[in-house]
Amino acid sequence: MPQATLSAARLGALLPRPIPAEELERLLFDSKAELKSLAGDELRVESTADRLDLLCEAGLAAHLAGALGAARGPVPIAEGRGAGPAPSIVATAAVDPIRPAIAAIVIDGPDPHGLDAGLLNEAVRFQELIHATLGRDRRAASLGIYPADRLAFPLRYDLEPMAGVRFTPLDATHEVAAATFFGEHPMGRRFAALGTDPTRCLTLRDATGGVLSLPPVLNARPLGEAAAGDRRLLLEATGTRPGRVADALALLSLVFLARGWAARPVEVRYPHRTDDGRSLLAARPIELTTELLREVSGQAYPTLEVEQLLGRARLAARPTPHGWRVEVPPWRPDLLTARDVIEEIILARGVRAEDGLLPPSPTRGRRLAEVRFRRTHAARLLGLGFVPLMRPVLSPEPLVRLLGRTGAIALANPVSEQYAVLRDALQVSLLAALERNTRFGYPQRLSEVGPVVVADRASETGADSRVHAAIVLAGEGMGFADAAAAVDYLLRADDVRGVREPAELAGTIPGRGARLRLAGEIVAEVGEIHPRILAELKVPVPVAWGEVDLTALWPLVRRPAEAPTLKADRPAAERR
Amino acid sequence: MADEGADEAGAPAVALSEAERTLLFALRAPAGRAATEEALGAEVGLPPEAVRGSLQRLRSKHLAVAEETSVARPRLTARGEATRAAGLPERRLLDLLLRRPEGIPPAALEAEGLSGEERSAAIGILRRRGLLADGAPLRRRAGAGPPAALPEEAALEGVARGEVGDAGVFDALKRRGLVALDHTTHRRWSASEEGRSLPLGTAGAATLGAVTSALLASGAWRTGTFRPYDVRADVPFVTGARPHPYAAWLEEFEEILVGLGFEQAEGPLLETEFWNSDVLFMPQEHPARSIHDALSVRGVEGRLPPADLLERVAAVHEGRALPGAAAPITPGWRYPYDPAIARRPILRSQTTAVSARFLARRPAPPFRMFSIDRNFRREALDATHHLEFAQCEGILGEEGITLRHLVGVFRALAEAIGIRELKIRPSYFPFTEPSIEGYVRHPRLGWIEVFPGGLFRPEVLAPLGVEVPVAAWGIGIARLAMVALGISDIRDLYLDDLARLTGREG
Repeated sequence: MPQATLSAARLGALLPRPIPAEELERLLFDSKAELKSLAGDELRVESTADRLDLLCEAGLAAHLAGALGAARGPVPIAEGRGAGPAPSIVATAAVDPIRPAIAAIVIDGPDPHGLDAGLLNEAVRFQELIHATLGRDRRAASLGIYPADRLAFPLRYDLEPMAGVRFTPLDATHEVAAATFFGEHPMGRRFAALGTDPTRCLTLRDATGGVLSLPPVLNARPLGEAAAGDRRLLLEATGTRPGRVADALALLSLVFLARGWAARPVEVRYPHRTDDGRSLLAARPIELTTELLREVSGQAYPTLEVEQLLGRARLAARPTPHGWRVEVPPWRPDLLTARDVIEEIILARGVRAEDGLLPPSPTRGRRLAEVRFRRTHAARLLGLGFVPLMRPVLSPEPLVRLLGRTGAIALANPVSEQYAVLRDALQVSLLAALERNTRFGYPQRLSEVGPVVVADRASETGADSRVHAAIVLAGEGMGFADAAAAVDYLLRADDVRGVREPAELAGTIPGRGARLRLAGEIVAEVGEIHPRILAELKVPVPVAWGEVDLTALWPLVRRPAEAPTLKADRPAAERR
Repeated sequence: MADEGADEAGAPAVALSEAERTLLFALRAPAGRAATEEALGAEVGLPPEAVRGSLQRLRSKHLAVAEETSVARPRLTARGEATRAAGLPERRLLDLLLRRPEGIPPAALEAEGLSGEERSAAIGILRRRGLLADGAPLRRRAGAGPPAALPEEAALEGVARGEVGDAGVFDALKRRGLVALDHTTHRRWSASEEGRSLPLGTAGAATLGAVTSALLASGAWRTGTFRPYDVRADVPFVTGARPHPYAAWLEEFEEILVGLGFEQAEGPLLETEFWNSDVLFMPQEHPARSIHDALSVRGVEGRLPPADLLERVAAVHEGRALPGAAAPITPGWRYPYDPAIARRPILRSQTTAVSARFLARRPAPPFRMFSIDRNFRREALDATHHLEFAQCEGILGEEGITLRHLVGVFRALAEAIGIRELKIRPSYFPFTEPSIEGYVRHPRLGWIEVFPGGLFRPEVLAPLGVEVPVAAWGIGIARLAMVALGISDIRDLYLDDLARLTGREG
């Protein structure tokens, strides 16, 4: 879950009263945030992925003020009144294939001092957090902060030939060509794919042609360099989809709007339409009915309490004939439906364990019949003295290769070669266990009843998840007959007898491997492990192995009344 | 239990070998007799080594005692024997000086048959006795008559007769390696009080060891006496099979859920992204679905679900109305849904996929389902994270199910595992709304997050055609198991160390 380090002092300056650490911890526990640490001025906070607004000082302070009962209703948005016509951005058709969405607002500071370094730092840090989360590392949305007083509107958002673009990156002192920037600058190299095509790059210029930035990568100096003392800022977002861009912009704007900055939308003129931008700052209405609130929460809420709870959640609610019309501020993209609002109400009141109820109707609990069948086999193996193991399905790639199990499915993005292949037989895991227990003494008798994954083109998922029961016997004198006898025992216990037929099996000595067939289905494999494998694993004694495919066996032995297992969408007859 | 001394048949309860028993018989008849090992050996017909070893074991069992006497016997060493025959070096030097009154240089003595060591000893002894003149060459002191016998000569002869004689001279000869003193311990054995009272059965009766089929067939056991075993002795360490602790714990947890009216379900480990995520209203661009978080596979292709279900899921993602409906149920995620992503196979990252498959069968309400199964995430492996981990998933659906029923299930589960304190806090999951987390207070670990859950969103239920509210919860059961089993490293849940699995640690 996302985390941020906030300034305790800056947060405190926005709170109605000082909050001791213990109280802060409790208040956050009751929200979707969590206090991870507080050391000096550094306040480490984590939030759920849907409440990024709690990860900036302004948003967290707004929430806490509501929780303390010191503030109610949404953070007000002061309306900006800049001189002259509404600022605008012209977006060309060329940007459509790469990054079609752009949105912006202009904000004015509430006092003559304008921007200070602390506020700028807070905004930049929050901006980067939004990039990393909601913005999907800038792919879905990226943000820019600009000194609006130094810009000449309308701005132009375009995809230009790279050869004609030169600018001074925000962290540089000299102008560079765009091609050089994307080839050499760390930011340019990292994000080039998001803002370029083979010959062109995205640009944001003002009316004089000055470069504000190369979206979504880096701002340019001086037009893209907001600084302390700036009284008017342009907040801008670009991305692939308008909704995500608007959400990102609204979240960033909260840093300023909660401190009384006034906002004015920026009009965006696309080739075939114009967006006046007013929706960026407008509250979204959600209709909530009393009936739905009761259905979801299981409790009746007095009307007045609902309005109070919503107010504490920093939302506005107006009564309607069937419930309420709730106004959701733009920096709460998590609130999409009435159910989301209900969650706010429930959580603002608090959920007590004592309120829990038993479900209305009794139901009969039961294990899957097939699971009981597997357990029976596990118990039989235990009775034969086999030590049961429970090993991961993800298996060591070198061992799978050594065994020659070429059909096993490999991961495309493994973390380590020890967990790189899906075992298609328990043989892999049992031999791995023998390898790790060579100092234990012999004989060793190991077993596992567990899942394997077998490639199967006919299956909906491309593979079949099956459950096998397998044994290995390691010790002087152990051989094919020992494993075959154990497998015969397992089948006999189900009142069936398989027919052994010679087979060349992975990892076994040629001529000492067999498959067991029952009603035409292969239900088991048995063999003596090849000394080549044993030498590689440093197992100093002979090893016999047997493996029963319980998934194949089950439909052949189950009683008709037993319920089928929930499996992928293929009838049993098609398997194998 | 039988008396410490004997069992009901009169056989000794102290373990005795055949030889020990035979010797003990010999030692205690007649009473008071003490015998040497040699005499005992001759009496019972056992070789000396067997007699000695058995007597020592009888003594260690406090059944026999030995009266020990130690005798020191002087003897000539091989070198002493040779010197006695050839004459002591000092005697030979005196004889030489008698023949050579003019004297002889020390260096010439070797040519006269005195080795360097003999020369030094002879010169030293003769000087101390005042028999040599000062200076070189070596000459007899004037006036010193030839001694009839040197003390060393007398001592050497005494040793040859078995006498030590003058202790100082003997020690001097011992230092020269000419004589030695042998110590011999003589033991006279007799039965101890305990040995006399120990029931031994009938003298001469056969002592029986292991019960064999031959013994049983012959009936010889009727006339013999069974040799008792030392029941306190170490026995072989037997290791046996016992249930795997993690598997056993999971089964116990299943019992709880079955008892609460939940029926079990399963689903495939390799899933399509459709069932793992799309149908759960997780947008295709959700961070948890990136290659950095989900495990994908090579060379496997999945298939799309039935077209009507795919269309319904796509509609809620894109914010469109479901087929046949006038308006969207919600704004959705507002992005172009991609079926190519939906068909991609990945390792199941959450057992909620099992719930989705269960709901797709449109079970008749009321229903309660659980699944305890493995999931996979692309985690860095450490003590608390594993790529493969078990989750316990559960849903309950029927008319009237609310968040309070979910809290009620949390309470019942917590109480079933012996935890009384539960508190609830807000949470977030893409597929539930409201979403909550249940924390329980563990006696050792304090408050721990155990029960995440919520009510499935309409965006999940509507495309699946489920018309009743459904509460869903998922438990990080591996974590709970670690707490219950006292395990601090999640990797130990997949233990394959036989020493630990069989109870033979180390």
